[in-house]
Amino acid sequence: MVKHLLKRNLEVKSIVISIVLLLNLSFSAQAADGKLSPEATKGLEVFKANCVSCHAMDVKVLGPALQGVHTKRSDAWLLKWIKNNEKLRASGDKDAIAVFNDNAQASMNVFENLSDAEINSVISYFKEWTPPVKIKDESKPETPSFYSSATLYILLFLIVILCIVLIILRRTKHNLRATAQQLDGVPVEVSEPSAWQLRKAYYKKRINPTIFKMTIGTIILGALATYGFYFGVTEIAVQQGYRPDQPIKYSHKLHAGDLKIDCKYCHSTAEKSKQASIPSVNTCMNCHKGVQMREKYDGEISPEIKKIYAAMDYDPDKPAGQQFGPNPKPIRWVRIHNLPDHAVFNHSQHVKGAGVSCQTCHGPIQEMEVVEQYATLQMAWCINCHQENKIDVENNPYYEKLHEKIKAEKNNKNSPYGKYYTVDGKINVTAAQNGGLECSKCHY
Amino acid sequence: MQEILNMKKSIYIIIGAMTIMSISSCWWKAGENNTGIEYAPDMYYSKGYEPFSQFSDSMKYRYNPYLMTMREPVEGSIAIGQMDYQYGYDNTSRGYDSAGLHLAMTGGLTEAEQMEGARLFGIYCSVCHGMTGGNDGPVSSKQAVLKPSWANYQDKTIKELPIGKIYHVITYGKNNMGSYAYALTPKERWSVATYVKRLSNMDSLGHIPAMQIIAAQENKIDTGSAISVIKTEPEVKVEAHTSQKH
Repeated sequence: MVKHLLKRNLEVKSIVISIVLLLNLSFSAQAADGKLSPEATKGLEVFKANCVSCHAMDVKVLGPALQGVHTKRSDAWLLKWIKNNEKLRASGDKDAIAVFNDNAQASMNVFENLSDAEINSVISYFKEWTPPVKIKDESKPETPSFYSSATLYILLFLIVILCIVLIILRRTKHNLRATAQQLDGVPVEVSEPSAWQLRKAYYKKRINPTIFKMTIGTIILGALATYGFYFGVTEIAVQQGYRPDQPIKYSHKLHAGDLKIDCKYCHSTAEKSKQASIPSVNTCMNCHKGVQMREKYDGEISPEIKKIYAAMDYDPDKPAGQQFGPNPKPIRWVRIHNLPDHAVFNHSQHVKGAGVSCQTCHGPIQEMEVVEQYATLQMAWCINCHQENKIDVENNPYYEKLHEKIKAEKNNKNSPYGKYYTVDGKINVTAAQNGGLECSKCHY
Repeated sequence: MQEILNMKKSIYIIIGAMTIMSISSCWWKAGENNTGIEYAPDMYYSKGYEPFSQFSDSMKYRYNPYLMTMREPVEGSIAIGQMDYQYGYDNTSRGYDSAGLHLAMTGGLTEAEQMEGARLFGIYCSVCHGMTGGNDGPVSSKQAVLKPSWANYQDKTIKELPIGKIYHVITYGKNNMGSYAYALTPKERWSVATYVKRLSNMDSLGHIPAMQIIAAQENKIDTGSAISVIKTEPEVKVEAHTSQKH
């Protein structure tokens, strides 16, 4: 009894100790993050407001990584440098000139607007900064999902097999019982043929089974062939719904939808040229020189952003600007909208001239994770739009001459231009009426 | 026996037809990585050079750089009608400073061009700088790296920035901002720079002053007189299309 109690006591103790230990652990994990003194906390705020656009503590952004900078330079020097590095360089300070030259002569902004106290708080933040501890997220262990498609199919297959086995076993049991009864001399009950069996026997006599089967087969084959023919005629060469994997998993949903970047930011020639243009990697680098999504990938550059760097052979750790390395490799994007050679489509004419929004033809691009072809790009689709949509004759300088002609013949209902006036005195011209259906406009 | 054979045959035929149908409908219809069936593929994948088409045969097209149909322009070439692409200041801090001192717009901007400046600002600049230069754009508010070190356009840093420097920065980029020469013609760059200047003089009520008022303050925006853009730097660097490499 005593022994038992003692044992129990020990158990309780060990539980208490382990709980205390666990709590301690979690507290120490928190403390590593929030250990900054009030001075350094203020410094962190100043740092976030002024410095993060060019500096980070542990990685090079535009300026060098600032980890351990307080050990290399004195506080007084740092204060002078941050406040006005140009003045410090002009005064002939050797360290300052060396720093300037080491970083590809990219001059740092001048921060005359910051007070000495603010800069000193930033320096104290440098001193108290510790590298973030990489804690592996163990709260969500990776369990293989039970309902993955393969397991589901295997399960279904097993269920079907078991059902078949069950039916066979039932029949065997029934047969065995019947045989046993026969052997025992119990008379076998012969049931009356059912109505269905009688009817079957009747038709079997009347219809040649070969002809019957051939008829059924012909009907089924004919239906399939008709469907195939219809499908072939209407859907062949229509690439609606084509959504290939691209070499970089670029998400239009993220960039155009969530971040609200205008389409023309990247497809900048849509207003100026026949092509809407695939943006050059330079355009990607406008943001991704700075945005590397390290926080999402455990301190590493995002693998997709790395592909941009690889395409332009750019080394993010080198203190150079937005530059191509010696071995650039263009990204081989997969073309989705592919008009055949005999049809011409001009983007600038539609975007700038007619003011058609991108989404009219390309669909809800801002919601697409992977871009797919939204429109059929068939001729009927083109013509439909040309027939349905009015052109803005009055406000669009492109149609100035047409507008004048229409205005001049306002009262002459029989003239080719006067008839564009509707009963209530408004001008109603569709693209089709303005030559939008002429063959040679698109086929030349 | 004959009957069973017949039955088997018809079943085989039906199953065969259905498999052919299902397989063929897979390659007929476009989806995922499949373009679907294409008649006359030469019409789809042009034999002639088209912009943005690529080759895969590296032996046959060995004279096309990176297997592109687009050729890299010869160093120093200028497209027709693009003489004003010449820009005489280097992408260095020295070029930046001298642009601030000497660069001025030749010829004024019409009202339409000023409006265009505001529209282009909305497309290219507002993602980071916000619609009124408050640095509160949809991208920069999520990514601190893209936020400039100054608070907004009404800040002293931008208010006192000469328009030549603004033009220089739009052309070459600065710090984390990239070059916008790929998208904006020199004229458009001037109209955007002017709009930036107008925004920096915006009052607290959000009223954006007209260009003439700033021109008087700045005494830099030259309306009309044809002064040569390049004053100090003798060597003319041609920017042309080299910035649009791929």
